[in-house]
Amino acid sequence: MLGSHPFASQLQQAVGGRVLVHPRDCDDYPVGGASPKLVASPVGVQEAARVAKLIGDERERLVVRGGGTKSSRPPCADALFAVLDMSKCEGVLAYEPGDLTISVKAGTKLAHLQSVLARHGQFFPCDAAHAARATIGGTLAASANGALRQRYGSLRDNTLGMRVALSDGTVAFSGAKVVKSVAGYDAYKLFIGSLGTLGVIGEVTLKVSPLPGEQALVAIRFASARDAADAALDVARSPLFVLAMTLHDPAAGTRIRGLPRTPEERDWLLVIRCGGSRSAVRRQLDGAVAICERRRGRDFLETPHEAVARVWADIAELAAGDAYPSNGFVAARFTGLPADVPPLVDALRRAWPTCEITAHPAVGVVYAHVPADASTFSPSTIEAFWKACERSHWSVQFLSAPPALAAVARAPIPPSIPRGLNQKVKAALDPRGVFDPTRGAAGLL
Amino acid sequence: MDSTFIDRLRKLVGRRHVLADLDDLRSYGYDASLDRALPDVVALPGSAREVADVVAACVDRGYPFVARGAGTGLSGGALAEGGGVVISTTRMHRILELDALNRLAVVEPGVPNAEISAAAAAHGLRFVPDPSSQAVCTIGGNIAENAGGLHCLAYGVTANHVLGVEVVTADGELVSLGGKTVDTPGYDLLGCFIGSEGTLGIVTQATVRLEPMHEASRTLLAVYDSIENASRAVSDIIGSGIIPGALEMMDRLTTQAVEESVHAGFPTDAEAILIIEVDGVREAVDDIAQAVREVCERHAAREVRLAQSPDERERIWRGRKGAFGAMGRYSPTYYVQDGVIPRTRLPEVLREVSAVSARFGLRIANVFHAGDGNIHPLIIFNADDPGEVERAVVAGDEILRACVRHGGSISGEHGIGTEKRDCMTLQFAPADLELMARVKKVFNARNLCNPRKMFPTSRRCGEGARKLASGELSPALAAAAGPAF
Repeated sequence: MLGSHPFASQLQQAVGGRVLVHPRDCDDYPVGGASPKLVASPVGVQEAARVAKLIGDERERLVVRGGGTKSSRPPCADALFAVLDMSKCEGVLAYEPGDLTISVKAGTKLAHLQSVLARHGQFFPCDAAHAARATIGGTLAASANGALRQRYGSLRDNTLGMRVALSDGTVAFSGAKVVKSVAGYDAYKLFIGSLGTLGVIGEVTLKVSPLPGEQALVAIRFASARDAADAALDVARSPLFVLAMTLHDPAAGTRIRGLPRTPEERDWLLVIRCGGSRSAVRRQLDGAVAICERRRGRDFLETPHEAVARVWADIAELAAGDAYPSNGFVAARFTGLPADVPPLVDALRRAWPTCEITAHPAVGVVYAHVPADASTFSPSTIEAFWKACERSHWSVQFLSAPPALAAVARAPIPPSIPRGLNQKVKAALDPRGVFDPTRGAAGLL
Repeated sequence: MDSTFIDRLRKLVGRRHVLADLDDLRSYGYDASLDRALPDVVALPGSAREVADVVAACVDRGYPFVARGAGTGLSGGALAEGGGVVISTTRMHRILELDALNRLAVVEPGVPNAEISAAAAAHGLRFVPDPSSQAVCTIGGNIAENAGGLHCLAYGVTANHVLGVEVVTADGELVSLGGKTVDTPGYDLLGCFIGSEGTLGIVTQATVRLEPMHEASRTLLAVYDSIENASRAVSDIIGSGIIPGALEMMDRLTTQAVEESVHAGFPTDAEAILIIEVDGVREAVDDIAQAVREVCERHAAREVRLAQSPDERERIWRGRKGAFGAMGRYSPTYYVQDGVIPRTRLPEVLREVSAVSARFGLRIANVFHAGDGNIHPLIIFNADDPGEVERAVVAGDEILRACVRHGGSISGEHGIGTEKRDCMTLQFAPADLELMARVKKVFNARNLCNPRKMFPTSRRCGEGARKLASGELSPALAAAAGPAF
């Protein structure tokens, strides 16, 4: 029994008693459908490092967990030993609005972060779903970028520095706490999108932005995905500098509750988010509408400033897959060239006619939600689809899948990815393999 | 270096493209930093394959090698300290693809920065990073140093505008990091590679992001009788929610030199001037310019001048970009610092810079990216006076200490190289440097690829040597630093 093991008392000591070993308690921290044997909840990066080292000394593995908003992400560990729960490692460490930087502990919830910043008219340009529960550390580890990256850059672009805990118990900082620095390697970038396979993100320094004084959305209907995507590319190439664009198939479009009218069932929906001064927003809206009209867009619906956040929260949930029950859908993210969004959408709809699609057409990201049904995931369908992806250089990441389909939810790694270097990075930073490697890109590590 | 090796290089890249005469080598023995180092031989490969072959030949013989673009670096990154092979990428200067629809360009490493924007302009697009040396500095060097420029605050540095690179690793292997699309699978090796100062491999091809050009811009010149007021205006502009495209400051010593050489129309009796550029859609820029003007006036600007014509705007920017060059009016030699501080600390740090100037008896001119808090104190000294050289170096270290003390960085865009390597311990703890050493080992286990750069080696800045002597730095770190360690 783990509770009476000397190791458990060492762990208790390492994290001030915040260790759970009772199965009933551990069930609250599932990862990939499995419950851990123990859960340790550090409140600081040093504690996280001590836990990682102790678990490594026991020759066991751990999975780092933030707010648990992506706990259905496959593949899951075969036998889950420990969860390092970072949700209690929270709080603002330093914030100087005039410097446009904030340093926070990694378990800080996105909603809390945004509310602290909003008091000073600022925000962190990240539109991940479930902001009340999602932690900044988890969001970075999952590289859960949203459509705002079109204007503000990716999460990586807005992360300035990071303090991480490694499995040998060391704590290391890289990057800086100012908006610009080239001193040393940006080793912290390796942890963004690493899915917790290299170490624990303990503290982060972020670059924040002023909240636009005025915002608005315009939703435009199109008869085809191609017209809508082409319009999006035209807008992206224009000097309008809109904040973000999202594209939805007819079914996904009806899930955006906040829009004034639901689109007709056969229409694709392009939503354009504008921001800046009042005159700039007016110009962006008018300019975007004029471009869309040239691409046969119609029925322009504007959402005013005060309703933008509510509608956008719905849209963020669509992309993250949270609008769909995790046991009913397979969710995957595809990335490719922006101009290749229409052919990818065609290929997806050919393979899975009932799949729902949300895309960020200006950056070349497509989210597909396919109703989970063993019959639609036959080996031959999958094989043919991977071939299509490989031909057009699309890469794929699975976001969630029901346990029964975990085996098929493994995307192939394109041959251009330097597998050897990835493996060497893992071996260099986590030589004992304490951080569960099965959660990395399948087949890469 | 033996002649059989040089012959081998000649076979790999062609006789004309290997330089081994002392006169030729001298051109490759310097960059824009204070350091000098003669290579043993220079190879100018014409393709990625040839770069890989040259690297493999070096590895085979255990010779260190250093990639070099235009040699405009400010930290010694392209110098072969201790000798070795310089691999110049200047023959690889083609723009391979310009994809306006997907807003990207695929280029060879020797393409000058400004040529990318020039080629993209026909499509209404541009490559955003714009270091002052952009007419000659190459994209390969920009990637190695994660180059910045005048427009970083609003639009980011090189790392934010590169989608992928093809590199020859330190083992001579050709690999792709990133790609043409965002979020390629696996770890963000690209993010870690950019800014690694040529120590993790050699870029042989890059895919860069292009952005639309702005419809309109306005340039303002704000004139101050006190540096403090100018600094406060900088913080207040940002604090009011405006991120100008560029926000630069110059002090009196600088404007006087600039006026003598460039005639930009700067007042020579003002303590500081701010150059502020705002951009955006036509309908909005005048409003933003007006808001900036009001902030500047609130902080007691003596004058706020809006450039009335493209000519006037061009003259102002020519003055700013010519500032480093204009220092030649005072002395042929100056030592440029590149520290970064939280911008709200500008008044205090500039006071400290001024105190350093008085204490060391050296004139220090300030011209810098105020919006980023990236200061460039130019320490003016006489290179023929060894005492003065030494004082300039120590004064520079003092300024960097102040930057770190205020929570900043020892380099914002120039890099560490040989020049600042021994100041790394000011900013980073041993465990931080250990993490970097582990990363270096992944890419460059033999330490032949640009050795002796970035990692601390000796006693400048004091700390490195003390920690070395006391055993606080580990053998792994010593290995990363190279043979001089």
